[in-house]
Amino acid sequence: MAAPLTLLLIVAVTIRAVLFRSSWAELISERVEVVSPLNAWKRVVEGLALLDLGVSPYSGDVFHETPFMIYLFHFVVDYAEIVFMVSPGLVFCLSRFLTSLYLFRKQKYALESDRYPADCLELLRSPKEMFYIPLKVAMFYLLNPFTILSCVAKSTCGLNNAIIALFILCTLKGSALLSGILLALATYQSIYPLTLFAPALLFFLQRLYIPVNLRRSSFWFFTLQYAFIYVGSLVVITGLSFFLLGSWDFIPSVYGFIFSVPDLTPNIGLFWYFFAEMFEHFRLFFICVFQINVFFYTIPLSIKLKEHPVFLIFMQIAIISIFKSYPTVGDVALYMAFLPAWSHLYRFLRNIFLVSCVLLACSALFPVLWHLWIYAGSANSNFYYAITLLFNFGQILLVSDYFYAYLRREHHLTHGLYLKKKDGTEATLVLK
Amino acid sequence: MDYYNLLTTCAFIHLLVSIPYAYSNYVENKAGQFFSSGHTNNWAVLVCTSRFWFNYRHVANTLSVYRSVKRLGIPDSHIVLMLADDMACNYRNPKPATVFSHKNMELNVYGDDVEVDYRGYEVTVENFLRVLTGRLPPSTPRSKRLLSDDRSNILIYLTGHGGNGFLKFQDSEEISNMELADAFEQMWQKRRYNELLFIIDTCQGASMYERFYSPNLMALASSQVGEDSLSHQPDLAIGVHLMDKYTFYLLEFLEEVHPASQANMNDLFKVCPQSQCVSTPGHRTDLFQRNPGSVLITDFFGSVLLHDMKQLVADVSSQKPKQKDWHPPDGFILGLWTLILLVFFQTYGIKHLKHIF
Repeated sequence: MAAPLTLLLIVAVTIRAVLFRSSWAELISERVEVVSPLNAWKRVVEGLALLDLGVSPYSGDVFHETPFMIYLFHFVVDYAEIVFMVSPGLVFCLSRFLTSLYLFRKQKYALESDRYPADCLELLRSPKEMFYIPLKVAMFYLLNPFTILSCVAKSTCGLNNAIIALFILCTLKGSALLSGILLALATYQSIYPLTLFAPALLFFLQRLYIPVNLRRSSFWFFTLQYAFIYVGSLVVITGLSFFLLGSWDFIPSVYGFIFSVPDLTPNIGLFWYFFAEMFEHFRLFFICVFQINVFFYTIPLSIKLKEHPVFLIFMQIAIISIFKSYPTVGDVALYMAFLPAWSHLYRFLRNIFLVSCVLLACSALFPVLWHLWIYAGSANSNFYYAITLLFNFGQILLVSDYFYAYLRREHHLTHGLYLKKKDGTEATLVLK
Repeated sequence: MDYYNLLTTCAFIHLLVSIPYAYSNYVENKAGQFFSSGHTNNWAVLVCTSRFWFNYRHVANTLSVYRSVKRLGIPDSHIVLMLADDMACNYRNPKPATVFSHKNMELNVYGDDVEVDYRGYEVTVENFLRVLTGRLPPSTPRSKRLLSDDRSNILIYLTGHGGNGFLKFQDSEEISNMELADAFEQMWQKRRYNELLFIIDTCQGASMYERFYSPNLMALASSQVGEDSLSHQPDLAIGVHLMDKYTFYLLEFLEEVHPASQANMNDLFKVCPQSQCVSTPGHRTDLFQRNPGSVLITDFFGSVLLHDMKQLVADVSSQKPKQKDWHPPDGFILGLWTLILLVFFQTYGIKHLKHIF
């Protein structure tokens, strides 16, 4: 196991190093699909330069990183490439830790095989299958062209992904303190990981065998503990950032920027086109609608998936990547890295061919239509918006497909694989 | 005796104290000079009015002033160059594509990048007056217009054959000094100049500026009324006189001037005294509001830009403090690392420490 992982690591580092040194690096770091105003490297350098000149980096609309990024990059700005190569490494650590999770699951296998109907045995995963999953997850992340592009562009999205990955690692390991602190850090970086509070909470409750019953005091006790850790560390981190620069103007610059979406540079998300043509009168209303859309799915999904928090984490990350205000391909790469973990659902996926074709075609068409719009002048923003719509549609279809497959598998586990209606004919399952 | 000592000591102390004061005054004066002229852009209208090969020297005069003005910073877009004949490509020119100002072909004032705006038969009195007053047909291209405003300093240089009160254009028409004075008055009324320097190198040139009556005009001429302006040197290989005396010495003077030079108008008035020029150069400054001694040559011949000025003043004044890199405050670093250590020990427990130590 160690040898393939090391080989994978070497290949990934080589690809990134080669691309860093080539002339493509300049080109990639300017692509709007890869960098957004929130995480462009150019803006980080600009912010640090402003700081050296004695001006607050948050004055003007240049810099939208949190003060922690200032602190981090102040010392390593010359070695930035190394930092960005390390962050996928952290995700790689997470994947290695998934072995632990599945070893835990292995013990469950023996118990489960008694409980389930006999014909479901083929649905359960054998340890042999699960052995290669960490390698596959690592491969999906490290060799994903989206991640490579994001890394070569030195977009801080890679660091955000690393923090989320570390958070998932600590959650799965069971350390509530570290998980709370890392979630606070992830939320501090961009607000959307706030929705990951619910799945992390559910995971701990499950692990500690506390039933999720609103009337039970043990439930509230643990929830309050975890919430206290989370909110407390968030407050501490925010306070520390105040002390870094001595002013609160990072709050409107970072969080105000994320929520109110003033910068309408095209990206792979849905906000820019809509708000470019929005009248001022309705802007606030639609900002609220769009932002609520990100947070809205947390409660229903938590209710449905309350016994499966790990899958819930995956769903939440996917929803954040699709509906956030400035998505980039780096965010897409994060949830795609988890797909091998659900490879046992493959037989229940209905639209996988369509989805993969749509995603591949859109990824190829993004630069083409951008060129036609901006440089050749023979297309306009509607073309690019259409591809954005299609890409997001493909992602939503992917996520909902996996959701269907997961629920269907659970249903089969309880009711048997070959379902029969009351009169004996074969039945099909539909997600309603 | 005591009183005398007291006086000397007082004078000495006063001198000591006033030195830094005088220095700062000097600095302010230097800085003040740059702002005293009140102009923001420079234009030049350079006209040669004679045609035919034997008037080679008039074209050479105009081209040498053009060369100096370009060298000192006025761009071609701000120069209206009018040459009544083409000497460089004249079929009688034994050295084609050149116009020399010194004999033995020392200096070619034609150069590589001459932009002639009005050439040949386009140099007429009407066109000249239209250029000055701005009353050109709408189809005239920008390069043929004098697009000055009320913050422009304009240099106007005329050369050719003239007489008492007139200047001959193209051997067929003339402009009188009254017409010229009226044209300048039109320019003043239309706010087309801030200050204007008028130089004329013709016979009886001083007659041309006698009639001026608009403010902010300074004029120089190569000869007084009743005198002829003489040509300088013939070149035996080319076969004609190359330059006029006044412009030859003017060129020599201007070659010494550079964009940061402090030479002023008084130096210009001394160019080509009678011993060198045989004619007596004249000048008129009564309509000019500033003292000629405070007017820099580069106010008219050059185009000193604001950032050059700043550089000069920065050299004179004291050094700026060096910029320091930003460092995170110590409190922040302390707080951050304390927290990180706390979390570390909380997760891994104190009891592990004894394995490390």
